[in-house]
Amino acid sequence: MSQLIVLLTVQGYAAIISLAGAILVIAVVLFLLRTSTTQEDKLAVKKKVYKIRGRYFFALVTCIIILLLVTLQLLPYPKFQSEPGEVVTVVGMQWMWKMAPGTSIETPAAFTGNNEITLPANKAIRFIVTSGDVNHDFAIYDNNGVLVAQTQAMPQYHNELQYVFPQKGDYEILCLEYCGLAHAIMLGKIHVQ
Amino acid sequence: MIQISSVEKRQQKKLVILWSITFLILFPLLVTLGLLMRLNQGEWMRMSPGTFYALMTLHGLGMAGSLFSIALAAISYLIATRYARLNIGVGYFSYVSVVLGVLGLAIASLYAKFGAGWYLLYPLPFTGANWPAWSTGLTIISIIVLGIGLLINCLHVLYALAKEYGGITRIAGWQYFKKDPPEKELPSVVMISTISLVPAVLAFLAASVMLIMYLLKYFEPSLAFDPLLLKNLTFFFGHTLVNVTMYIGVGWLYTLLPEFTHRDWKITKVTAIAWNATFFFILFAYFHHLYMDFVQPLPLQYAGQLASYFSAIPATAVTMFGVIVQLYHSKIKWTIVPLMFLLGTAGWAIGGFAAVVDSTISINKVLHNTLWVPAHFHTYMLMGILLFILAFFYYLVGAKEDPGKDQKPKLGFWLFVIGSYSFLLMFYLGGLNSVPRRYSDYGGIPLKNVHETGAHLAQAASVSICLLLLGLMLMYVTLFTKLLRSSRPAAQNETVL
Repeated sequence: MSQLIVLLTVQGYAAIISLAGAILVIAVVLFLLRTSTTQEDKLAVKKKVYKIRGRYFFALVTCIIILLLVTLQLLPYPKFQSEPGEVVTVVGMQWMWKMAPGTSIETPAAFTGNNEITLPANKAIRFIVTSGDVNHDFAIYDNNGVLVAQTQAMPQYHNELQYVFPQKGDYEILCLEYCGLAHAIMLGKIHVQ
Repeated sequence: MIQISSVEKRQQKKLVILWSITFLILFPLLVTLGLLMRLNQGEWMRMSPGTFYALMTLHGLGMAGSLFSIALAAISYLIATRYARLNIGVGYFSYVSVVLGVLGLAIASLYAKFGAGWYLLYPLPFTGANWPAWSTGLTIISIIVLGIGLLINCLHVLYALAKEYGGITRIAGWQYFKKDPPEKELPSVVMISTISLVPAVLAFLAASVMLIMYLLKYFEPSLAFDPLLLKNLTFFFGHTLVNVTMYIGVGWLYTLLPEFTHRDWKITKVTAIAWNATFFFILFAYFHHLYMDFVQPLPLQYAGQLASYFSAIPATAVTMFGVIVQLYHSKIKWTIVPLMFLLGTAGWAIGGFAAVVDSTISINKVLHNTLWVPAHFHTYMLMGILLFILAFFYYLVGAKEDPGKDQKPKLGFWLFVIGSYSFLLMFYLGGLNSVPRRYSDYGGIPLKNVHETGAHLAQAASVSICLLLLGLMLMYVTLFTKLLRSSRPAAQNETVL
């Protein structure tokens, strides 16, 4: 069931698009293998292929422009974020997450927080994320195991990630930037009510 | 046209065979490190996280370094035997530097378990490390030694080409921008080498700045640098070098494939414009590695997606349509060399397509640092550039001069291709299922399906790697013998290009 759910996510769309691309490439390879058994003058071949190439070029440029216009409206950056309902400060340290409500003025080392936090559903939550040592990546997984949002936790910088939890339940925090020995067990949890 | 003596050609051939044999020994060893990592993730064997990350570091640095080195050695050989005189001493200096560098990296990771990852992302090499400090120093110095050898080789090739063809703008093909075609034709491999090696030089310069800062930090731990600046330098270096490796391989595709199709592949105004545009795309695409650093200036995030998307135009509309013109109704004999070129181009396209998908910021936010990332770059490294490299080796051992020596693809080749694609599929499925990359094992993930999916896919990937290694070994049996035989003086007289 979870495999099917995955297909309806952004990851699923990416996989479907990539699969379509791979099938197209394989089709071209098979076509070339099949048609290469006969011979035709190179100039005639060039004329035919370049005619298709001209159309391909315009189709590709059009697709790229449309995709850029659409996808560049859907960015996760602060400029594209609405007013948050709540703010949470997050500090990543080898190898734990510290989270607490509000904006902290303390240094990452002095900041006190917990690796679990309770937050409301259907409300824009802004996570202000930093690190007390090396680079980490604050990644939120829903209870189906689907990665839904992430941002880097970088020393000396604060990345602001905004996310609306669409349903109640437990969300897991994993670290997605390699940060040393216990990287794979740097965990946190968000209880959404 | 430059005249290169048979003595010079023989010297160059001896050098490239030395590179080839070294690569052929090193490559399966590095694949084996990958196999051990997947076995551990698949819970079929147990190693400590420290050992896993040390192997991961050596696998990444070793693969990126050795693939770039052999690509540079191959293109240098083609240039030195056809287009411009290259100093053999520079070639050997580069070889010795790379071997010493690799030796240093192997000691640091295998003996001292240095495990900061291939990218040594600041400040990880210096903070919370479980490896001795000297291994950090040894790694930095090893990369510097290796990098100096490769940088000097790149500069030497560019200098020799510019000297031979009348300057840097001419070897970049700018004379083709004019209305009338130039009187003197420029070989396509010269232009592609230039477009590839100039960004490589810039990448090495960025790495130099980074490594000098690392050395300062190593000797004076109280120093602190800007992590965002160092992240930019790291990915500019790493991304550019990997990208350039692929493009160098395309250089000998343009040169060698026409020898099998008997159709020329010349530079035109369109190809010159396309490749010069590629130069900028190579330089700016790296920004897509920093999408999840929200503090990176917004115009640079846009630049990352634009450069990544637009790089598809020259790659497909020019090079891939060029391959179609070469092969369509060509009555080509499908021996192993042209087949590797065709499948290598396909691997480049498939991996490139998945990379462009991931370079979309709104998609990257859920694919970044999942197994989707190794999926796409392993596709164009393993099924793209590696096939080009193997094609070059088969060409080198005389596949073209004596069709009797050119084999039809046999069992080993197909096992290798099937094993590789099966291995890659497990990475893609891992990315689709949000399985994180660079995890020593998935046992600690509290999400049961991510843990189990990750482990099962790693098990299937381990079997696939065994299959691809078996295929590779079957190919090696003949390839090694032929390489050794063709390095003998009598054989060199016959098969020098």
